[in-house]
Amino acid sequence: MKKSDFQLYISGAAKLGVSFGVVSLLSRWVTGNTILSSPETLITYGLIGGIGYSFMGALSIILFGFLAKIIRKQFSEQQTIGDILREKLSPSGYWFMLTIIFITSFHSLFVQAVGAATLIHLIFPIPTFVGMMVFLGFCYIIGGIGGIDRLHQLAGINVTLIFAAVIVIPVYFFIQEGIYPVFDGIKLYHPYLLYIKNQEAILFIFTALLVFVGQVLLDRATWQRIFMIQKEKVRMTFTLTGVVWATIPLALSSLLMIVLFGRGFDNIYSLFFELVDKIQSTVLIILFVLFCFSAISSAISAELHATTSLFIKNAMDLFRPLSNNEKWKYTYWFAGTVCVILLFISSLLAPSPLKLLFFIGNIYAAIISPMLYIIFSKCKLPFIVPFSSFIGAVSGYVFMPITEDLKAIWISFAISSFICLSTLVFHIISKHIRNKL
Amino acid sequence: MLSVEAFSLTIMIASLAPLLGAFTLLFLFLFEKRIDLLEKQKREIALERELQTALYNQLNQEIQPHFFFNTLNSILSLARLDRKTELIRAIETLSKLLKFKYQTNTSFITIDEELTYVKYYLEIQKIRFRDRLYYECSIDPTINQAVTIPFLLQTFVENAFKHSFEKFIGEAFLKITIKKQDQEVYITVWNNTTESRDDQSHERGLGLENITKRLELLFPTGNTSVQLINTDGGTSVTAVFPFVLKTEI
Repeated sequence: MKKSDFQLYISGAAKLGVSFGVVSLLSRWVTGNTILSSPETLITYGLIGGIGYSFMGALSIILFGFLAKIIRKQFSEQQTIGDILREKLSPSGYWFMLTIIFITSFHSLFVQAVGAATLIHLIFPIPTFVGMMVFLGFCYIIGGIGGIDRLHQLAGINVTLIFAAVIVIPVYFFIQEGIYPVFDGIKLYHPYLLYIKNQEAILFIFTALLVFVGQVLLDRATWQRIFMIQKEKVRMTFTLTGVVWATIPLALSSLLMIVLFGRGFDNIYSLFFELVDKIQSTVLIILFVLFCFSAISSAISAELHATTSLFIKNAMDLFRPLSNNEKWKYTYWFAGTVCVILLFISSLLAPSPLKLLFFIGNIYAAIISPMLYIIFSKCKLPFIVPFSSFIGAVSGYVFMPITEDLKAIWISFAISSFICLSTLVFHIISKHIRNKL
Repeated sequence: MLSVEAFSLTIMIASLAPLLGAFTLLFLFLFEKRIDLLEKQKREIALERELQTALYNQLNQEIQPHFFFNTLNSILSLARLDRKTELIRAIETLSKLLKFKYQTNTSFITIDEELTYVKYYLEIQKIRFRDRLYYECSIDPTINQAVTIPFLLQTFVENAFKHSFEKFIGEAFLKITIKKQDQEVYITVWNNTTESRDDQSHERGLGLENITKRLELLFPTGNTSVQLINTDGGTSVTAVFPFVLKTEI
């Protein structure tokens, strides 16, 4: 394969082993979301919520590993989630699913970008716009132009920085401060964090599992990695990724304790970045800033790369078959346009509260059953299967004013599952009748 | 409410957990290649052992004197009838057959190579059986370079002759089908003789068992199976194993 071949941009030259597979998946899954949603989880649902959050994230990645093995066994020539959807869905169903994937992709990219903008606003004495331009320029070069090989070259450095920060900073602080002052400070200012018998936390933990599973199932970067990892190592890679990933939000919860003790807070989403004010040592400040940027930039680059690959291979190429050079050209244009849009939106939004950006759990919950049906089915599926995710998500939003947010997510899941199940039963019965005739 | 001890324990676990993650990753980076190599070596040794067993079975079962004498007698008849071109072809084919049989000592070969060997064998059998024998072979051209274990197809075909055509009179019809389906290779050998289950000799059982074992060793993570099916129309044996090109190994 020539170095300029577009296939190399999508999948790279060599198949990944467990170690590189785990690093690649970690650099995708330790994201701005992990950093931004940890404080919210911790403050809303206490320590139990924080711990449950990390376990559920890990569990969903591990569970996806079981599916990934089946997917890899069924399809070996494919490269993206779009390739599989095209085989399993009718044209209308395919385009519908692709639209949902693009909506969730852009949403996820925006969350990361706004996170990065908030960080720049808090740390650097430069206009956010300029900081974001440099940051997104870097992501564009790595994810947009560089392709998967460039992403993997940086993934090792990213993961090293992430682990260095989450190991060194909490240990340094707790040795310096001691556990008692932190405990007393939390007890005084945020006693709800220490409350264990929290019924709502249990509902939250299981809802988080639902949302996580949906998110992983729909994540085009994760799907691409299924086909990059050596076939016999797929499940092991996902299991280990889940286990290793779980340790990071756990460490982030302990980091947040350092920020929170002995003080209140204004903006929950920028809370984590305020750790910079608490850190005295310059080396640790640099390490912390590098950790944040590294986590966010690797996730943005990975998502940018996956979204671009999906757009060029599974959307543009279907309208008009593209030559290799055209694919490269449109890749640069598409990734560049996404970066420019991200730049403007993140500069306008940051550092205002991001509540609205976390408002997509219903879609993820509603997509689980259709995606499972798609993966396990042996034949082409009717439009109603992918469309059930839309019905489920909309129903969840409709019920939101009369019920809690978390319950609305379960309603979304239940409705789309019911539709998929009905379709399956109808399909089985009609097949049975046809066979009898 | 969490006590200070429980809080300390939680913070300790939360702070030290990433160490566990980092060590796991470090261990993988340091030892993954070595573990892979050990596994590969173990599999190769087992494959080698099974191949030796297969070769032993081949020598014991298949180059039986009666096959050899019958072939030589057929060649002799060709010489007596002065059918020189066919005679040369027969001797050449026998020579190639024996050469392949004694020189194959690798754990895997391509389907193309295996098929060439089987065709030599069938050519010789055609001299013996003459118009009684009809055979056809259909292969999906995309899987010519796929990997298989040596003597898989050969064992199936030889079994058909040994347990069917040589035992029963009448037309001998043999069909070889090699196709790819869902990233798996299906090799089927069908013959028109119906055997009762009692007739499945111990010898044949050993041959198929050896093939099953060797397929499992060559494709440890893939789906493999060997099935013998008696139907009204005939007997067929099918081997299923993953589609892997020689260049990928």
